[in-house]
Amino acid sequence: MRTYYWMVIPALALFLIFHTVPVLQGFYYSLTDSPGYGSYDFVGLKNYASLFADDRILDAYLFTFKFAVVATVATNALALAIALGLNARIHFRTALRGVFFIPNVLAILIIGYVFNYLFANSLPAIAQAAGIEALSTNILADPDLAWLGIVAVAVWQAAAFNIIIYLAGLQTISDDVREAATIDGAGSWRQFVSIVFPLIAPFFTINMVLSLKNFLQVFDHIVALTNGGPGTATTSVSLLIYSGGLEGGEYAYQTANAIIYFLVIVAVSVFQMRVLQRREMSA
Amino acid sequence: MKRIALLLAGALLLTACAAAQPRDTRVTLEFFQFKPEAVETFDKIIKDFEAAHPRVDVVQNHSPTAESAIRARLVKDDIPDVIALNGNSVFGELASAGVFYDFARAPIAADVSPSIQRILDDLGTHRPGERNGLPFASNGNGVIYNKDLFARHGLSPPTRWSEVVAAARRLGAAGVTPFYATLADAWTTLPAFNALAGNVPAPGFFARRTAGKTTFAAEYPQVAAKLRELFGYGQRDRFSRTYEDGNQAFAQGKAAMYLQGSFALPAIATYEPDFEIGTFALPATENPADTRLVSGVDVALTLPREPEHPEESMAFLAYLLRPEVMTAYAREQRAVPPVENPPSDDPALAGLMPYFAAGRLTGYADHHIPLTIPLDQLLQQFLIDGDQAALLRDLDREWDKVAARRS
Repeated sequence: MRTYYWMVIPALALFLIFHTVPVLQGFYYSLTDSPGYGSYDFVGLKNYASLFADDRILDAYLFTFKFAVVATVATNALALAIALGLNARIHFRTALRGVFFIPNVLAILIIGYVFNYLFANSLPAIAQAAGIEALSTNILADPDLAWLGIVAVAVWQAAAFNIIIYLAGLQTISDDVREAATIDGAGSWRQFVSIVFPLIAPFFTINMVLSLKNFLQVFDHIVALTNGGPGTATTSVSLLIYSGGLEGGEYAYQTANAIIYFLVIVAVSVFQMRVLQRREMSA
Repeated sequence: MKRIALLLAGALLLTACAAAQPRDTRVTLEFFQFKPEAVETFDKIIKDFEAAHPRVDVVQNHSPTAESAIRARLVKDDIPDVIALNGNSVFGELASAGVFYDFARAPIAADVSPSIQRILDDLGTHRPGERNGLPFASNGNGVIYNKDLFARHGLSPPTRWSEVVAAARRLGAAGVTPFYATLADAWTTLPAFNALAGNVPAPGFFARRTAGKTTFAAEYPQVAAKLRELFGYGQRDRFSRTYEDGNQAFAQGKAAMYLQGSFALPAIATYEPDFEIGTFALPATENPADTRLVSGVDVALTLPREPEHPEESMAFLAYLLRPEVMTAYAREQRAVPPVENPPSDDPALAGLMPYFAAGRLTGYADHHIPLTIPLDQLLQQFLIDGDQAALLRDLDREWDKVAARRS
């Protein structure tokens, strides 16, 4: 019994030192007016009071949730479709699985800058040649469309990892179940709805939770593509915390924002787990 | 008890110093600077300094996002030995936080023009009367223009707002892009904004705004309208072009004018333009005598509040501030030395020098706006949607919110 504690304690210690202590430190600073360096005073809960009266914070939350929900749904729909394809008996199956995983090993910043170039130069050139007026200018320069560009890049990159999880899930389904369904006369759609999807429900849950959590923290994509612009149209909460806290000199105020956002993400994730796990059991 | 503790601390400190710096060892200074285009120039200066000070090694450290980098270093209490930063509001905020040396106690830059030193001090100091930075180079924030295109279309640098508009229209009618605009980078709205904000509203606007006696809505409509008109003469894809694109395009002669400060000249020069470049101060009114050039401290030097190697750091700083070093730097980096009656034989800056000589200078208006207000993004938004009332309302609202948070 002792030995098991010794296996757990190092990990717990690392977690406490590198995660819990900084969070508590952040909470301490959120009660001050510190710019992150130099002298500072305690201001109590004033930062938190100001947060709720700041429409820039509210705008950032609205944008981030809109982005995260759309990107999560799109990523999982795309990943599940591709995973089904890659699980079927097709030619070059192993090679294709490798190809579809590549976006996951590329750094988001690099992908972002490549797509930034594509959106600024290639896509308008193609659209102009094809006579598509709506895409003939850089969509990242349009406050109403820029977020869709970010969604496209985020989905393209994030689908890779979700595909792997879904593939792993699909391989847990034994062939006899499918054979039985085929003999009973179920078509492939019917099989997917009644057999395959319920059996990979735990994988769906984990993908949905992780995707939403990751997209709520969206940062790199936006830095590389729009830096929060045009105007402030694509400023996510993480970006606002960074730019207001480190570039804008309001470290304490944005730390308070970060604390609130941490609680929001925890609440959303717990809620999502509860709902999806209940669905797993009833299915 | 207290005395014993002090003594003990002193003894510890002495032994620590003795251990860390035995005599005759080399001292390595970290020189943190923010201008990627000036790396080679500083390397040369450092080489000359090291030749005269064999005991000191200076290591240059530059970062493309220097302001975030220096903040991160400050948070970690790991401050470079000698620091060169742009004299902007970040500098002011850092100085106000009390992380920089107070040069009022140790004046080493006697030659610097008092009016330029004041521009730097006005950004903010830790306590009133302190001097937390020393100007090393000044810039001029006007309009860069293509002399060949101007000559070909019979234009001379405008001295009235109406002449700016007339020149832009004539160029546009002749099929020449009047201004190359790079609005994908929100900050590139600022040079033009500063030229207008420094000349159109009555002086002292920000003091009155802080006192609650005026608003942006009351005094900035003309600034916004003229800003929008200027960028309206930009090229079609102005919202998807970046600063780097603009430097290259202007160097290729794709537009007659470029709304940028003198700090863009070295970057443009790297694309080897085959025409002569000129500059003029943007006239914002109909009275040429009213036009003042927006100028700021392009490079400000400073030390940490408590330098680790005070003697060596100060020696390097004093070397940088020698008139011949400042002049040599200014020549290579197309800057203006921050001295009285600055010498400059740079033809590209000739259009701005009379303003320096006559002291017709004004600071950057955006340095008075708290950094946490996304001024550049609000301006970018305004140039996209043209909603002037929304811009002025947002500026006022953000200003009031920040004032309430910080009161």
